Amino acid sequence: MTGQIGGIVLGAGLVAAVATALLWSRVALLGVSARPARAATWATLAMAVLACAVLEVALVGHDFSIRYVAENGGRDVPLYYTVTSLWAALDGSLLLWLLVLAGCAVVVGGRRPERSGPLQPYAMAVIGVVAVFFFALTYFAANPFTAVSPVPADGPGPNPLLREHPAMGVHPPLLYAGYIGLVVPFAYGVAALLAGRTDRLSVTVVRRWTLVSWVLLTGGITLGAWWSYAVLGWGGYWAWDPVENASLLPWLTATALLHTLLAGRRTPALRSWTIALACSSFLLVLVGTFLTRSGAVASVHAFTASPLGPMLLGFVLLSVAVVLGLLVSRSGTAAAANPSPLLARESVMLGNAVLMVAVAAIVLTGTLFPLLVQAVQGHRAAVGPGYFNRAAVPVALVVLLLMGLAPLLRPGRAADLRDLRVPAFAGLAVAAVIGMLSRPGVLALAAFALGAYVLTGLAQSLVRRRGDLRRWGWMTAHAGIAVVAVGVAASSAYTVSSERQLRAGESITVGGVTARLETVDRLGAANGMRVRVRLALGGDAGGTSEPQLRYYPARDLTVSVPAIRSGVTGDVYATVLGAAPDGTGATVRLAVNPLVWLVWLGGGMTALGALTAAVRAPSRRRSPSPSPETPVPVGAA
Amino acid sequence: MNRRRIAGAVLAVAAVTVLGVTLASGMQRASGDTTPAATGPVTQARTGAAPPLRGRTLTGARFDLTTLRGKVVLVNVWASWCDPCRQELPVLAGAQRRWSADGLEIAGIDIRDNAESAHRLLTELGVQDLRSVADPQGTAAVAWGARGVPETFVVDRAGQLRWWAQGAVDAAWLEQRIPPLLAAS
Amino acid sequence: MRLRRLLLLAVAAVLLAAAGTAVWRSAAPRPETAHGIAEGLLCPACQGESVAQSQSPMAAAMRDTIDQQLAAGRTPDQVRQFFVDRYGEGVLAEPGYDGIGILLWLVPLLAVAAVVLIVLRQRRRRPAAPPDRDPRTPAPPIGRARMWDTVAVAVIALVAVVAFAGPDHDSADPPARAAADSTSSLLTLARSLEGQGRYAEASEVYRDVVAQRPDDRTRLRLAFTLLRSDRAAEAATTAGQVLHDSPGNTEALLLLGLARRASGSPDATTTLRRFLKAAPDDPAAPEVRRLLARS
Repeated sequence: MTGQIGGIVLGAGLVAAVATALLWSRVALLGVSARPARAATWATLAMAVLACAVLEVALVGHDFSIRYVAENGGRDVPLYYTVTSLWAALDGSLLLWLLVLAGCAVVVGGRRPERSGPLQPYAMAVIGVVAVFFFALTYFAANPFTAVSPVPADGPGPNPLLREHPAMGVHPPLLYAGYIGLVVPFAYGVAALLAGRTDRLSVTVVRRWTLVSWVLLTGGITLGAWWSYAVLGWGGYWAWDPVENASLLPWLTATALLHTLLAGRRTPALRSWTIALACSSFLLVLVGTFLTRSGAVASVHAFTASPLGPMLLGFVLLSVAVVLGLLVSRSGTAAAANPSPLLARESVMLGNAVLMVAVAAIVLTGTLFPLLVQAVQGHRAAVGPGYFNRAAVPVALVVLLLMGLAPLLRPGRAADLRDLRVPAFAGLAVAAVIGMLSRPGVLALAAFALGAYVLTGLAQSLVRRRGDLRRWGWMTAHAGIAVVAVGVAASSAYTVSSERQLRAGESITVGGVTARLETVDRLGAANGMRVRVRLALGGDAGGTSEPQLRYYPARDLTVSVPAIRSGVTGDVYATVLGAAPDGTGATVRLAVNPLVWLVWLGGGMTALGALTAAVRAPSRRRSPSPSPETPVPVGAA
Repeated sequence: MNRRRIAGAVLAVAAVTVLGVTLASGMQRASGDTTPAATGPVTQARTGAAPPLRGRTLTGARFDLTTLRGKVVLVNVWASWCDPCRQELPVLAGAQRRWSADGLEIAGIDIRDNAESAHRLLTELGVQDLRSVADPQGTAAVAWGARGVPETFVVDRAGQLRWWAQGAVDAAWLEQRIPPLLAAS
Repeated sequence: MRLRRLLLLAVAAVLLAAAGTAVWRSAAPRPETAHGIAEGLLCPACQGESVAQSQSPMAAAMRDTIDQQLAAGRTPDQVRQFFVDRYGEGVLAEPGYDGIGILLWLVPLLAVAAVVLIVLRQRRRRPAAPPDRDPRTPAPPIGRARMWDTVAVAVIALVAVVAFAGPDHDSADPPARAAADSTSSLLTLARSLEGQGRYAEASEVYRDVVAQRPDDRTRLRLAFTLLRSDRAAEAATTAGQVLHDSPGNTEALLLLGLARRASGSPDATTTLRRFLKAAPDDPAAPEVRRLLARS
């Protein structure tokens, strides 16, 4: 019964989405009242909310006659994880996707023109088309409400990896919301191209949505990295895995977009750039969705293969083709001379955008390369961290170099490079000291130096122009990025690890930390078996550490839960790789990861800084700008 | 102006095509991966000399593969923590009983295991007469190119690798591959 | 003032020299660690994880192998070659940068070059003429708007019909996708049962699958598991049905023959002979010949 209601709701949502797309294009083309279109938008949201609610009710009520519940529910799963299992697997997460998308549509389609700009009807039509596609995808290819017969008595519960930590309940919604928020810049970019008025791009609207998405993406990526570190137990936080790359790609182009938007307020030459970046961010979201949802790439995080592939692929290609076609056919209409000097804000922003695009191109090439080899040569290939570190990291370091200029930049005027003396000295000094004391490698050394240079520059600017609250947002975000750079460099350069098969009483020593195996306990739990290893830590860190090995029979999956003891200088990270069945010994991996907490701190600072900027953005009105924001009803007659 | 636009269009079409082909090949691979060819172990013919295998067996005796030259040797990678191995080991013991007179030797490589649990499993299954090299680190199995457990390699009388099976072998698999090798002298 | 300037220059020179030395020290090639080698190898038993990352026993064994080989004085390249010899090129996490691997560097370079080119050209270009198109379309005639509305209503109606009247939503029959899904999971179950030698149970599961999706391959698995669980007569029936539907199926012929033989039917020998004639090169053929010779 619940399943049928869910199916009907989804079908109604599809119809409402079609109506939304059609009614908004009617507004755009014929210039009629937008009232019915708004009603349809609300109806779409209502259906998306209902669909999620129905599935939640089924999950909480353990209604195993519904396929999604049968595959992801479980009677012994705590309520919190039952609720979050709405997005623990593909089909349910699509419902969440629909919910956020419809929510975005309602906000953008609202009545206040300063929130939506002159291109609103066109943009809403684009969002409507995207919504139609995702409703159709959910309804026809991944309907979670289909019936199961015979009805099982219990389900396996959500993926255990998602049950290891409550934060995992938040990570997917954050990322999805970030991904979908990018549909708004995309819609406005396409709308500007469709309407043939690239000068009408609503900078304020696009900037606000991009900022919000960027905050969510930054938070989501940081949480994902942390999850990888604290739950997956392999000792690192970023593996250049295709799924991780898929989340990084839109983040990179969105970063570039934010910067060109800022400079593009006054520079028409940046407009086509801005539009291309606005479109590409969401296109990369779609490509990433395809990669992670169709099982095309081998990854720990990928959803298993599903029938979504062909439909998603079709939509990805169609969107790319439409955007490219529009860009080509409208090229040349928006160019204008850019008279700004080389070190003016505009030029540096443009340089930053080019570098971000370069990093994105490297990451995308590396991610798609195995597929290309498969297509051309028919055998498996892999692109590991080595390539990304060698290709993308140097470019990222140049980005840091440009970032250090940020506090000095003025619109339309060359920056005064004399202000760069103190930061440059600081950077050089840090490089000298660290390079004399240890040998972290050239890239890590450069990252330390550049991190110090960026942070010093920000501090200097703060001292000179204190009280300028408008600058807090981006300054915090920049500082966060520099902190992440230092954290990544430190943890990758100085991490030491070792693994050994230990018997009780034996010990392993890594980086001044000694761990002695005390006991190996086997604990039977309701939903699986666990092996708990007790290690007594000696050396610099005291106390004990209790890594575990958990086995989930329902999914035949073993999870090695690390025990992490964090300190100011770094983490002592212990994992069990295996245990002797008789409890006399275990294989233990011990690592000392210095300064990893800087990565989380920096990620948090970045997200927080951008959030400050996002919150402040709407209240700021600039009077003399050549009014791209002036509400002019396009197409209205 | 017009020419430039045409060039742009051509480039755009090329880009979409390349992207499409690349992504579609990924899809193909995904579907190809999910349907394993058939039941039973994934078997491949192998060539080349068998890698060395020497060390102490679980019972403490010396073992060296080169001393078995002239016999057909079935090398099985297993461990007591491996579930499918439980089904497989009795099959192997049966094969040993059946064909040892004809010149079949079975050598296990017990990887990343401890001797007690290995013994316990062998006793439990009643297959103590299976001889296995203890490989606590798994390096011997890696030297053979094993990708997981259980895996089986078949070496012919000339010391050449012939077959490699990933997954538990069954009586039918052995029936199909062992007698021809025994017959060839 | 000049003194200050000199001082600044001196500080800059000292710092530059020190940083240069530091970089030079860091740039000196460092011995590749076992961890570094492990990061460059893919764990053959996992999904896209490196040997350094994976917790699987095979990956641990490979890490130990790396340690051993390094301790034995092999160079990192020799160690990598050792793994390539055994596991193929696919074990390397980094593709070779010759051949198609060059694309990894070429494509980003080209992309960036194109971007830079466009930027430079835009910087040089004179202000373009203002957009020649006015986006404000004049109010369309009433007739066109009507037509547009009609088409829109038709599209919505069509979508509604497809969404609700489609067979997917008929509550009477189970939806096609759910069926496909449950059969595929049942098939997996049956295969794993079969793999464990639990033929009787596997045959029951195969029977359920066949009831929903009677394709030849599944029916033959059913026949095979029935044969293995000593229900030769049923196996013969199933194999016979497959043979009836696709007479050229040699596997069906083989199973039919074996099943008849197991149930003591006199036709067994003829059936098996037919199989041998139809598929003399089948991997099972020698075995069948042996069987026939024995009887």
